[in-house]
Amino acid sequence: MINLDQVSKNFSQFQAIKSVTLTIPKGEIHGIIGASGAGKSTLLRLMNLLEAPHAGEVEVNGQSLTTLNNKALRGARKSIGMIFQHFNLVANKTVYDNVAASLELANYPKKERRNRVVECLQFVGLEGEMERYPAQLSGGQKQRVAIARALANNPQVLLCDEPTSSLDPNTTAEILDVLQNINKRFGVTIVIVSHELDVIKSICNRVSIMAEGEIYDTVIIEPTGIQKKDNRPEYFIEQLAENGGLGHA
Amino acid sequence: MPEILVQYEAEIWQSIGETITMVGVSILAAILIGLPVGTLLFLSRKGHLLENPWTFSILNLLVNIIRSFPFLLLVVFLIPFTRLIIGTAIGTASACVPLAIIAIAHYSRLVEQSLLDVPKGVIEAAISMGASVKDVIFKFLYVEARSGLVLGLTTSIISFISYSTIMGVVGGGGIGDFAIRYGYQQFKTELMIYMIIIMIILVQLIQFIGTAVARMIDKR
Repeated sequence: MINLDQVSKNFSQFQAIKSVTLTIPKGEIHGIIGASGAGKSTLLRLMNLLEAPHAGEVEVNGQSLTTLNNKALRGARKSIGMIFQHFNLVANKTVYDNVAASLELANYPKKERRNRVVECLQFVGLEGEMERYPAQLSGGQKQRVAIARALANNPQVLLCDEPTSSLDPNTTAEILDVLQNINKRFGVTIVIVSHELDVIKSICNRVSIMAEGEIYDTVIIEPTGIQKKDNRPEYFIEQLAENGGLGHA
Repeated sequence: MPEILVQYEAEIWQSIGETITMVGVSILAAILIGLPVGTLLFLSRKGHLLENPWTFSILNLLVNIIRSFPFLLLVVFLIPFTRLIIGTAIGTASACVPLAIIAIAHYSRLVEQSLLDVPKGVIEAAISMGASVKDVIFKFLYVEARSGLVLGLTTSIISFISYSTIMGVVGGGGIGDFAIRYGYQQFKTELMIYMIIIMIILVQLIQFIGTAVARMIDKR
Protein backbone atom coordinates (compact mmCIF):
# COMPACT_ATOMS: atom_id res chain seq x y z
CA MET A 1 0.00 0.00 0.00
CA ILE A 2 1.13 3.52 -0.75
CA ASN A 3 -0.10 6.51 1.16
CA LEU A 4 0.79 10.10 0.30
CA ASP A 5 -0.46 12.59 2.83
CA GLN A 6 -0.41 16.27 1.83
CA VAL A 7 2.92 15.89 0.10
CA SER A 8 4.62 18.94 -1.43
CA LYS A 9 7.80 19.30 -3.44
CA ASN A 10 9.48 22.47 -4.70
CA PHE A 11 12.34 22.92 -7.12
CA SER A 12 13.74 26.28 -6.00
CA GLN A 13 10.82 28.65 -6.76
CA PHE A 14 8.76 26.15 -8.72
CA GLN A 15 6.08 24.16 -6.88
CA ALA A 16 6.26 20.78 -8.61
CA ILE A 17 3.85 19.01 -6.27
CA LYS A 18 1.24 20.94 -4.32
CA SER A 19 -0.05 19.14 -1.24
CA VAL A 20 -1.06 15.89 -2.90
CA THR A 21 -2.95 13.22 -0.98
CA LEU A 22 -3.31 9.80 -2.58
CA THR A 23 -3.88 6.25 -1.36
CA ILE A 24 -3.05 3.29 -3.56
CA PRO A 25 -4.30 0.01 -2.07
CA LYS A 26 -2.23 -3.17 -2.13
CA GLY A 27 -2.42 -5.09 -5.38
CA GLU A 28 -3.69 -2.19 -7.48
CA ILE A 29 -2.22 -1.10 -10.81
CA HIS A 30 -2.43 2.66 -10.57
CA GLY A 31 -1.81 5.01 -13.45
CA ILE A 32 -0.61 8.60 -13.29
CA ILE A 33 -1.32 10.60 -16.41
CA GLY A 34 -1.04 14.24 -17.36
CA ALA A 35 0.63 16.73 -19.66
CA SER A 36 4.36 17.43 -19.64
CA GLY A 37 5.44 19.26 -16.52
CA ALA A 38 2.32 18.26 -14.62
CA GLY A 39 4.50 16.65 -11.94
CA LYS A 40 3.72 12.99 -12.58
CA SER A 41 7.31 11.74 -12.56
CA THR A 42 8.06 13.81 -9.49
CA LEU A 43 5.06 12.30 -7.73
CA LEU A 44 6.33 8.80 -8.55
CA ARG A 45 9.84 9.63 -7.38
CA LEU A 46 8.42 10.79 -4.06
CA MET A 47 7.19 7.23 -3.49
CA ASN A 48 10.72 5.91 -2.91
CA LEU A 49 12.12 9.27 -1.84
CA LEU A 50 14.32 9.67 -4.91
CA GLU A 51 12.91 13.16 -4.39
CA ALA A 52 12.51 14.19 -0.77
CA PRO A 53 9.26 16.06 -0.09
CA HIS A 54 9.34 19.49 1.55
CA ALA A 55 6.18 18.76 3.45
CA GLY A 56 3.85 15.88 4.05
CA GLU A 57 4.23 12.18 4.73
CA VAL A 58 5.07 9.29 2.41
CA GLU A 59 4.07 5.86 3.63
CA VAL A 60 4.89 2.69 1.69
CA ASN A 61 4.34 -0.92 2.83
CA GLY A 62 3.17 0.39 6.21
CA GLN A 63 6.43 2.28 6.78
CA SER A 64 6.64 6.05 6.92
CA LEU A 65 9.62 6.72 4.63
CA THR A 66 9.83 10.38 5.58
CA THR A 67 10.76 9.54 9.18
CA LEU A 68 13.45 6.96 8.40
CA ASN A 69 17.18 7.58 8.73
CA ASN A 70 19.42 6.94 5.70
CA LYS A 71 20.19 3.34 6.52
CA ALA A 72 16.58 2.39 7.20
CA LEU A 73 15.51 4.19 4.02
CA ARG A 74 18.00 2.14 1.99
CA GLY A 75 16.49 -0.97 3.53
CA ALA A 76 12.96 0.15 2.71
CA ARG A 77 13.94 0.85 -0.91
CA LYS A 78 14.87 -2.78 -1.38
CA SER A 79 11.18 -3.69 -1.28
CA ILE A 80 10.24 -0.89 -3.69
CA GLY A 81 11.32 -1.77 -7.22
CA MET A 82 11.65 0.87 -9.91
CA ILE A 83 11.96 0.88 -13.70
CA PHE A 84 12.65 3.82 -16.00
CA GLN A 85 11.99 5.11 -19.50
CA HIS A 86 15.65 4.74 -20.47
CA PHE A 87 16.09 1.45 -18.58
CA ASN A 88 19.18 2.68 -16.68
CA LEU A 89 21.05 -0.60 -16.86
CA VAL A 90 24.77 -0.67 -16.12
CA ALA A 91 26.21 -0.91 -19.64
CA ASN A 92 29.46 -2.49 -18.47
CA LYS A 93 27.72 -5.32 -16.61
CA THR A 94 26.25 -8.40 -18.26
CA VAL A 95 22.52 -9.06 -18.07
CA TYR A 96 23.26 -11.54 -15.30
CA ASP A 97 25.38 -9.08 -13.32
CA ASN A 98 22.83 -6.30 -13.67
CA VAL A 99 20.21 -8.45 -11.96
CA ALA A 100 22.72 -9.87 -9.47
CA ALA A 101 23.75 -6.33 -8.43
CA SER A 102 20.34 -5.76 -6.94
CA LEU A 103 20.65 -8.96 -4.87
CA GLU A 104 24.16 -8.04 -3.81
CA LEU A 105 22.96 -4.68 -2.52
CA ALA A 106 20.27 -6.44 -0.49
CA ASN A 107 22.79 -8.93 0.97
CA TYR A 108 20.83 -11.77 -0.55
CA PRO A 109 22.42 -15.09 0.55
CA LYS A 110 25.35 -15.69 -1.82
CA LYS A 111 24.63 -19.33 -2.55
CA GLU A 112 21.08 -18.61 -3.64
CA ARG A 113 21.87 -15.61 -5.82
CA ARG A 114 22.46 -17.54 -9.02
CA ASN A 115 19.16 -19.38 -8.76
CA ARG A 116 17.29 -16.19 -8.03
CA VAL A 117 18.83 -14.33 -10.99
CA VAL A 118 18.01 -17.20 -13.35
CA GLU A 119 14.49 -17.38 -11.96
CA CYS A 120 13.90 -13.66 -12.55
CA LEU A 121 15.37 -13.78 -16.05
CA GLN A 122 13.21 -16.78 -16.88
CA PHE A 123 10.17 -14.85 -15.74
CA VAL A 124 10.90 -12.09 -18.26
CA GLY A 125 11.97 -14.59 -20.93
CA LEU A 126 15.66 -13.69 -21.09
CA GLU A 127 17.37 -16.70 -19.53
CA GLY A 128 19.20 -17.23 -22.85
CA GLU A 129 20.81 -13.76 -22.81
CA MET A 130 22.50 -13.87 -19.41
CA GLU A 131 26.06 -13.35 -20.63
CA ARG A 132 25.26 -10.56 -23.07
CA TYR A 133 25.71 -6.84 -22.45
CA PRO A 134 22.86 -4.29 -22.59
CA ALA A 135 24.26 -2.76 -25.81
CA GLN A 136 23.58 -6.07 -27.54
CA LEU A 137 19.88 -6.08 -26.59
CA SER A 138 16.80 -4.44 -28.08
CA GLY A 139 14.88 -1.78 -26.15
CA GLY A 140 12.22 -4.25 -25.11
CA GLN A 141 14.83 -6.71 -23.90
CA LYS A 142 16.58 -3.98 -21.92
CA GLN A 143 13.34 -3.11 -20.19
CA ARG A 144 12.84 -6.81 -19.39
CA VAL A 145 16.26 -6.92 -17.75
CA ALA A 146 15.33 -3.81 -15.76
CA ILE A 147 12.12 -5.51 -14.68
CA ALA A 148 14.01 -8.65 -13.65
CA ARG A 149 16.42 -6.47 -11.68
CA ALA A 150 13.56 -4.66 -9.96
CA LEU A 151 11.83 -7.96 -9.15
CA ALA A 152 14.84 -9.77 -7.77
CA ASN A 153 14.32 -8.70 -4.18
CA ASN A 154 10.61 -9.60 -4.16
CA PRO A 155 9.35 -6.03 -3.90
CA GLN A 156 5.84 -5.29 -2.74
CA VAL A 157 5.66 -2.19 -4.88
CA LEU A 158 6.92 -1.55 -8.42
CA LEU A 159 7.26 2.05 -9.60
CA CYS A 160 7.32 2.52 -13.38
CA ASP A 161 8.45 5.85 -14.83
CA GLU A 162 7.28 5.99 -18.46
CA PRO A 163 8.23 2.33 -18.88
CA THR A 164 7.13 2.04 -22.50
CA SER A 165 7.70 5.56 -23.80
CA SER A 166 10.79 4.67 -25.78
CA LEU A 167 9.37 1.40 -27.14
CA ASP A 168 7.36 0.60 -30.26
CA PRO A 169 3.67 -0.43 -29.93
CA ASN A 170 4.26 -4.19 -30.11
CA THR A 171 7.03 -4.12 -27.56
CA THR A 172 4.91 -1.83 -25.40
CA ALA A 173 2.15 -4.44 -25.35
CA GLU A 174 4.65 -7.14 -24.38
CA ILE A 175 6.09 -5.11 -21.53
CA LEU A 176 2.61 -4.24 -20.25
CA ASP A 177 1.83 -7.95 -20.33
CA VAL A 178 4.86 -8.68 -18.17
CA LEU A 179 3.80 -5.97 -15.70
CA GLN A 180 0.27 -7.35 -15.54
CA ASN A 181 1.67 -10.82 -14.89
CA ILE A 182 3.78 -9.52 -12.02
CA ASN A 183 0.71 -7.94 -10.52
CA LYS A 184 -1.41 -11.08 -10.88
CA ARG A 185 1.15 -13.67 -9.84
CA PHE A 186 2.92 -11.89 -7.01
CA GLY A 187 0.31 -9.35 -5.95
CA VAL A 188 2.78 -6.50 -6.47
CA THR A 189 1.28 -3.02 -6.29
CA ILE A 190 2.24 -1.18 -9.48
CA VAL A 191 2.31 2.54 -10.16
CA ILE A 192 2.76 3.60 -13.78
CA VAL A 193 3.52 7.09 -14.96
CA SER A 194 2.69 7.57 -18.62
CA HIS A 195 1.54 10.18 -21.06
CA GLU A 196 0.06 7.49 -23.28
CA LEU A 197 -3.63 7.00 -22.68
CA ASP A 198 -3.62 3.51 -24.26
CA VAL A 199 -1.02 2.28 -21.80
CA ILE A 200 -3.07 3.45 -18.84
CA LYS A 201 -6.31 2.13 -20.28
CA SER A 202 -4.96 -1.31 -21.02
CA ILE A 203 -3.66 -2.28 -17.58
CA CYS A 204 -4.59 0.17 -14.82
CA ASN A 205 -7.34 -0.29 -12.27
CA ARG A 206 -7.45 3.39 -11.45
CA VAL A 207 -5.78 6.47 -12.83
CA SER A 208 -4.87 9.80 -11.28
CA ILE A 209 -5.00 12.72 -13.66
CA MET A 210 -2.42 15.36 -12.84
CA ALA A 211 -2.27 19.00 -13.80
CA GLU A 212 0.05 21.68 -12.46
CA GLY A 213 1.35 19.67 -9.53
CA GLU A 214 -2.03 18.56 -8.29
CA ILE A 215 -4.19 15.49 -8.75
CA TYR A 216 -7.13 16.76 -10.72
CA ASP A 217 -9.11 13.61 -10.25
CA THR A 218 -8.73 9.88 -9.66
CA VAL A 219 -11.01 7.70 -11.74
CA ILE A 220 -11.73 3.99 -12.07
CA ILE A 221 -10.98 2.25 -15.34
CA GLU A 222 -13.62 -0.30 -16.31
CA PRO A 223 -13.23 -2.94 -19.03
CA THR A 224 -15.58 -0.89 -21.22
CA GLY A 225 -13.36 2.16 -20.99
CA ILE A 226 -12.64 4.97 -18.62
CA GLN A 227 -15.52 5.60 -16.25
CA LYS A 228 -16.09 8.41 -13.87
CA LYS A 229 -18.58 7.95 -11.07
CA ASP A 230 -21.07 9.95 -13.11
CA ASN A 231 -20.63 7.51 -16.01
CA ARG A 232 -19.29 9.91 -18.57
CA PRO A 233 -16.52 7.99 -20.32
CA GLU A 234 -15.42 11.02 -22.28
CA TYR A 235 -14.85 13.06 -19.15
CA PHE A 236 -11.22 12.07 -18.72
CA ILE A 237 -10.24 12.91 -22.25
CA GLU A 238 -12.05 16.22 -22.08
CA GLN A 239 -10.19 17.08 -18.91
CA LEU A 240 -6.85 16.26 -20.45
CA ALA A 241 -7.60 18.32 -23.50
CA GLU A 242 -8.52 21.24 -21.28
CA ASN A 243 -5.22 20.96 -19.44
CA GLY A 244 -3.05 21.19 -22.49
CA GLY A 245 -3.45 17.67 -23.82
CA LEU A 246 -0.90 14.90 -23.85
CA GLY A 247 2.61 16.07 -24.47
CA HIS A 248 5.79 14.08 -24.33
CA ALA A 249 7.16 13.71 -20.88
CA MET B 1 74.07 -1.02 -31.18
CA PRO B 2 75.53 2.45 -31.96
CA GLU B 3 78.84 3.00 -30.31
CA ILE B 4 77.75 6.05 -28.37
CA LEU B 5 74.97 4.10 -26.66
CA VAL B 6 77.41 1.41 -25.64
CA GLN B 7 79.74 4.05 -24.27
CA TYR B 8 77.03 5.55 -22.04
CA GLU B 9 75.11 2.36 -21.34
CA ALA B 10 75.40 2.55 -17.56
CA GLU B 11 74.28 6.18 -17.42
CA ILE B 12 71.39 5.52 -19.79
CA TRP B 13 70.10 2.61 -17.73
CA GLN B 14 70.40 4.69 -14.60
CA SER B 15 68.45 7.55 -16.13
CA ILE B 16 65.76 5.16 -17.36
CA GLY B 17 65.52 3.82 -13.81
CA GLU B 18 65.13 7.37 -12.45
CA THR B 19 62.39 8.14 -14.96
CA ILE B 20 60.58 4.94 -14.03
CA THR B 21 60.84 5.84 -10.33
CA MET B 22 59.52 9.38 -10.84
CA VAL B 23 56.70 8.33 -13.16
CA GLY B 24 55.88 5.34 -10.96
CA VAL B 25 55.48 7.54 -7.88
CA SER B 26 53.32 9.92 -9.94
CA ILE B 27 51.07 7.04 -11.04
CA LEU B 28 50.72 5.82 -7.46
CA ALA B 29 49.82 9.32 -6.25
CA ALA B 30 47.32 9.70 -9.09
CA ILE B 31 45.56 6.45 -8.25
CA LEU B 32 45.76 6.53 -4.46
CA ILE B 33 44.94 10.23 -3.99
CA GLY B 34 43.89 11.64 -7.38
CA LEU B 35 41.13 9.08 -7.86
CA PRO B 36 39.47 9.76 -4.47
CA VAL B 37 39.90 13.54 -4.91
CA GLY B 38 38.34 13.40 -8.39
CA THR B 39 35.51 11.26 -7.07
CA LEU B 40 34.88 13.76 -4.28
CA LEU B 41 34.96 16.63 -6.80
CA PHE B 42 32.25 14.80 -8.74
CA LEU B 43 30.13 13.83 -5.75
CA SER B 44 30.23 17.24 -4.09
CA ARG B 45 29.10 19.07 -7.23
CA LYS B 46 25.72 20.72 -7.28
CA GLY B 47 22.95 18.21 -7.83
CA HIS B 48 25.12 15.21 -7.00
CA LEU B 49 25.14 12.61 -4.27
CA LEU B 50 27.18 14.47 -1.64
CA GLU B 51 26.40 17.98 -2.81
CA ASN B 52 28.49 20.39 -0.76
CA PRO B 53 29.41 23.81 -2.16
CA TRP B 54 32.28 24.30 0.30
CA THR B 55 34.02 21.00 -0.37
CA PHE B 56 33.56 21.43 -4.10
CA SER B 57 34.80 25.03 -4.22
CA ILE B 58 37.87 24.38 -2.12
CA LEU B 59 38.93 21.25 -4.03
CA ASN B 60 38.13 22.88 -7.34
CA LEU B 61 40.20 25.94 -6.49
CA LEU B 62 43.15 23.88 -5.25
CA VAL B 63 43.21 21.73 -8.36
CA ASN B 64 42.99 24.80 -10.57
CA ILE B 65 45.76 26.62 -8.74
CA ILE B 66 48.15 23.67 -8.91
CA ARG B 67 47.42 23.18 -12.58
CA SER B 68 47.87 26.83 -13.45
CA PHE B 69 51.50 26.91 -12.24
CA PRO B 70 54.07 26.54 -15.00
CA PHE B 71 55.48 23.22 -13.79
CA LEU B 72 59.04 24.49 -13.38
CA LEU B 73 57.77 27.24 -11.05
CA LEU B 74 55.74 24.72 -9.07
CA VAL B 75 58.91 22.68 -8.50
CA VAL B 76 60.78 25.75 -7.23
CA PHE B 77 57.83 26.99 -5.20
CA LEU B 78 57.51 23.62 -3.46
CA ILE B 79 61.17 23.39 -2.44
CA PRO B 80 60.55 24.32 1.24
CA PHE B 81 57.73 21.79 1.43
CA THR B 82 59.86 19.11 -0.23
CA ARG B 83 62.67 19.79 2.21
CA LEU B 84 60.21 19.45 5.07
CA ILE B 85 59.03 15.98 4.12
CA ILE B 86 62.07 14.44 2.38
CA GLY B 87 64.80 16.29 4.30
CA THR B 88 66.47 17.60 1.15
CA ALA B 89 65.26 19.33 -1.99
CA ILE B 90 67.75 17.59 -4.24
CA GLY B 91 67.64 14.11 -5.80
CA THR B 92 65.21 11.68 -7.35
CA ALA B 93 63.21 11.18 -4.13
CA SER B 94 62.76 14.95 -3.73
CA ALA B 95 61.77 15.28 -7.37
CA CYS B 96 58.90 12.92 -6.68
CA VAL B 97 57.17 15.43 -4.36
CA PRO B 98 56.17 18.08 -6.93
CA LEU B 99 55.52 15.31 -9.45
CA ALA B 100 53.11 13.60 -7.07
CA ILE B 101 51.31 16.87 -6.42
CA ILE B 102 50.81 17.72 -10.08
CA ALA B 103 49.83 14.09 -10.70
CA ILE B 104 47.04 14.30 -8.13
CA ALA B 105 45.71 17.57 -9.57
CA HIS B 106 45.99 16.33 -13.15
CA TYR B 107 44.32 12.95 -12.72
CA SER B 108 41.61 14.12 -10.31
CA ARG B 109 40.29 16.47 -13.00
CA LEU B 110 40.20 13.67 -15.55
CA VAL B 111 38.46 11.38 -13.04
CA GLU B 112 35.83 14.03 -12.41
CA GLN B 113 35.22 14.35 -16.16
CA SER B 114 34.93 10.58 -16.64
CA LEU B 115 32.42 10.31 -13.82
CA LEU B 116 30.36 13.16 -15.28
CA ASP B 117 29.92 10.98 -18.37
CA VAL B 118 28.09 8.29 -16.39
CA PRO B 119 24.37 8.64 -17.15
CA LYS B 120 22.54 10.08 -14.15
CA GLY B 121 19.84 7.45 -14.60
CA VAL B 122 22.27 4.67 -13.70
CA ILE B 123 23.01 6.37 -10.38
CA GLU B 124 19.30 6.85 -9.77
CA ALA B 125 18.63 3.19 -10.48
CA ALA B 126 21.33 2.28 -7.97
CA ILE B 127 19.79 4.53 -5.30
CA SER B 128 16.33 3.15 -5.99
CA MET B 129 17.75 -0.33 -5.30
CA GLY B 130 18.93 0.82 -1.89
CA ALA B 131 22.60 1.45 -2.72
CA SER B 132 24.69 3.42 -0.21
CA VAL B 133 27.12 6.10 -1.40
CA LYS B 134 29.94 3.54 -1.17
CA ASP B 135 27.92 1.06 -3.25
CA VAL B 136 27.18 3.73 -5.85
CA ILE B 137 30.88 4.57 -6.18
CA PHE B 138 32.35 1.08 -6.34
CA LYS B 139 29.54 -0.98 -7.86
CA PHE B 140 28.14 1.54 -10.34
CA LEU B 141 30.22 4.69 -10.97
CA TYR B 142 33.63 3.04 -11.33
CA VAL B 143 32.17 0.13 -13.29
CA GLU B 144 30.42 2.40 -15.75
CA ALA B 145 33.29 4.91 -16.03
CA ARG B 146 36.14 2.38 -16.10
CA SER B 147 37.27 2.86 -19.70
CA GLY B 148 37.30 6.63 -19.26
CA LEU B 149 39.29 6.24 -16.06
CA VAL B 150 41.87 4.09 -17.87
CA LEU B 151 42.12 6.49 -20.83
CA GLY B 152 42.47 9.41 -18.42
CA LEU B 153 45.24 7.62 -16.56
CA THR B 154 46.99 6.92 -19.86
CA THR B 155 46.89 10.61 -20.79
CA SER B 156 48.11 11.47 -17.28
CA ILE B 157 51.02 9.03 -17.39
CA ILE B 158 52.22 10.56 -20.65
CA SER B 159 52.07 13.99 -19.05
CA PHE B 160 53.98 12.65 -16.03
CA ILE B 161 56.77 11.48 -18.35
CA SER B 162 56.89 14.94 -19.85
CA TYR B 163 56.94 16.61 -16.42
CA SER B 164 59.68 14.23 -15.24
CA THR B 165 62.04 15.38 -18.02
CA ILE B 166 62.63 18.73 -16.36
CA MET B 167 63.44 17.32 -12.93
CA GLY B 168 67.14 17.76 -13.66
CA VAL B 169 66.76 21.25 -12.16
CA VAL B 170 66.56 19.66 -8.70
CA GLY B 171 68.90 16.80 -9.49
CA GLY B 172 66.09 14.36 -10.11
CA GLY B 173 67.81 12.84 -13.13
CA GLY B 174 65.88 10.80 -15.65
CA ILE B 175 66.06 10.39 -19.42
CA GLY B 176 65.22 14.02 -20.16
CA ASP B 177 67.93 15.30 -17.87
CA PHE B 178 70.46 12.89 -19.40
CA ALA B 179 69.53 14.04 -22.91
CA ILE B 180 70.06 17.67 -21.95
CA ARG B 181 73.26 17.27 -19.99
CA TYR B 182 75.05 14.81 -22.25
CA GLY B 183 73.29 15.28 -25.57
CA TYR B 184 72.62 19.00 -25.68
CA GLN B 185 75.17 20.60 -23.40
CA GLN B 186 78.03 18.39 -24.58
CA PHE B 187 77.03 18.73 -28.24
CA LYS B 188 76.38 15.01 -28.66
CA THR B 189 73.32 15.56 -30.83
CA GLU B 190 73.23 11.91 -31.81
CA LEU B 191 72.89 10.90 -28.16
CA MET B 192 70.09 13.41 -27.67
CA ILE B 193 68.22 12.01 -30.63
CA TYR B 194 68.52 8.47 -29.27
CA MET B 195 67.07 9.64 -25.98
CA ILE B 196 64.18 11.29 -27.79
CA ILE B 197 63.59 8.01 -29.64
CA ILE B 198 63.47 6.15 -26.32
CA MET B 199 60.86 8.62 -25.05
CA ILE B 200 58.79 8.27 -28.22
CA ILE B 201 58.81 4.48 -27.94
CA LEU B 202 57.85 4.70 -24.27
CA VAL B 203 54.93 7.05 -24.96
CA GLN B 204 53.70 5.00 -27.93
CA LEU B 205 53.82 1.86 -25.84
CA ILE B 206 51.86 3.40 -22.97
CA GLN B 207 49.25 4.87 -25.29
CA PHE B 208 48.90 1.56 -27.12
CA ILE B 209 48.40 -0.40 -23.90
CA GLY B 210 46.02 2.22 -22.44
CA THR B 211 43.84 2.33 -25.55
CA ALA B 212 43.77 -1.46 -25.85
CA VAL B 213 42.79 -1.96 -22.20
CA ALA B 214 40.14 0.78 -22.35
CA ARG B 215 38.62 -0.78 -25.45
CA MET B 216 38.66 -4.25 -23.94
CA ILE B 217 36.77 -3.25 -20.81
CA ASP B 218 34.29 -0.97 -22.58
CA LYS B 219 31.02 -2.81 -23.19
CA ARG B 220 28.87 0.24 -23.75
